[in-house]
Amino acid sequence: MSPTGIVVAGLRKRYGAAPALDGMSFSVRPGVVTGFVGPNGAGKSTTMRVILGLDAVEAGAALVDGRPYRSLRRPLNRVGSLLDAAAPHPGRSGRDHLLWLAHAQGLASRRVDQVIEQVGLAPAARRRGGAYSLGMRQRLGIAAALLGDPPILMLDEPFNGMDPDGIIWMRAFLRSLAAQGRAVLVSSHLMSEVQDVADHLVVAGRGRALADAAVDDLVAAVSEGRVTLRTTAAPHATAVLVRAGASVVAGGRDTVTVSGLPADRIAALLGAGAVPFSEVSAHRATLEDVYLELTREAVEYRAATSTEVRR
Amino acid sequence: MRAALHAEWTKLRTVAAPRWLLLGAIAATAALGAGAAWAAASVDGGATTVPSLIGVRLGQAPVAVLGVLVIGGEYGTGMIRATLAATPRRTAVLAAKAVVLTGAVAPAGAVAVLGSAAAERLILPAADGPTPRAIGGSVLYLVLIALLGLGVAAIVRDAASGAGAVLALLYLLPVLTRAIGGPRWLQRIGPAGPDGPWTGLGVTAGWAAAALLVGGLLLHVRDA
Repeated sequence: MSPTGIVVAGLRKRYGAAPALDGMSFSVRPGVVTGFVGPNGAGKSTTMRVILGLDAVEAGAALVDGRPYRSLRRPLNRVGSLLDAAAPHPGRSGRDHLLWLAHAQGLASRRVDQVIEQVGLAPAARRRGGAYSLGMRQRLGIAAALLGDPPILMLDEPFNGMDPDGIIWMRAFLRSLAAQGRAVLVSSHLMSEVQDVADHLVVAGRGRALADAAVDDLVAAVSEGRVTLRTTAAPHATAVLVRAGASVVAGGRDTVTVSGLPADRIAALLGAGAVPFSEVSAHRATLEDVYLELTREAVEYRAATSTEVRR
Repeated sequence: MRAALHAEWTKLRTVAAPRWLLLGAIAATAALGAGAAWAAASVDGGATTVPSLIGVRLGQAPVAVLGVLVIGGEYGTGMIRATLAATPRRTAVLAAKAVVLTGAVAPAGAVAVLGSAAAERLILPAADGPTPRAIGGSVLYLVLIALLGLGVAAIVRDAASGAGAVLALLYLLPVLTRAIGGPRWLQRIGPAGPDGPWTGLGVTAGWAAAALLVGGLLLHVRDA
């Protein structure tokens, strides 16, 4: 593999007895948006801190452009990052916050004004950071990440606290950054936030990557063997199909998702049972389904261990 | 290193607290010096000698707090992670902070000490007044106290407990050692001083160096 983007290999780290990272491995390629999703506590933020050389690991390595972050001389020119809660000093203006960051990389002040324009923060740039809304802080963080015009961007929960306008703006912005050929890693604990943006998905759970694949492949894998049934008599249909050995999950309004039986057999059974239905079709899983399917085990495990702790 | 210095200097000048703390140090040093001289003058016409440059003992407090804030404040906001992401060489970060702090405290300390000396001279013209050595030593002392604050805050990673720890070292430790009594070296074990022109500066420098060394080591090995 060419040494561009981010490569994370076998990261292990524990906080006390609890493993925070347990063999986390994935890669982030240029030109695509990679979504980094998983429930809270899955190790997403820790992984990002490790990539930035902020946290040490017991085993494994994280490389950006083939090198450890801490060996980069002007790192913001290689990797731009937004960390969750990376707040500016409340008494310092947004512009001055960007100014010291620029000076730390030997960049000119002109660059500061450019990124302020780019993220639409110009009207608030000279206001104190303490007066910023969470959405404005996120834009400031994006501006900071863009300062060095880096080929790699890594954003931890950038949608947090953004209003709907901001979310739409952020999605388009992330897509445009990837279209320019940059490697973009975006974490979120909500699948819906990275839907429509990510081309590639890393699903984290229990400190490791449960999946590292293209979005289309993941959706196809979870959709396989499932049938969507539209019927006004869902309870009746469920009873008939379960008796025939299928498993049935309630879907949206008047729909259920059936697995364990092929579509033609479902139609035949419902016909024989005189159950009214308007549609039987191959199920198309949403990213939310993929996420739930992949993280179910991880969440259950967490629930189980927390009960043990309570006992 | 030059870029790190530039960044730290920009940080220091773009918030209000450092300015106010340095102005506070100047005001406190000169005011206590003038007050003590005025008290001596009004009691017996200046026959009693007051410890010269006693105002430094008050002026050191805002200077110590400034030293603490330079890194402790960044832990409060989480900005330290941005700092270390921008400059991964952590010892360079601490060194840049120390240099910039010295550059800010030294001139302000000089103004404070010279102002105090001028006030004493004005109120007690008969007294000898502080020697140039005493003035230089006091400015150096203030710089060392700021660096002590920086080192302690790098160790405790919190502005409030950092300030508490340094102020306790400066004001509580001397009271405690005096209460305990014991040998002379025990009385001189704290970083506070100086008693005379250069007396005790070595001890203060030792404290500052030790705090910076331990703080730097911990900064290097700990997760940010």
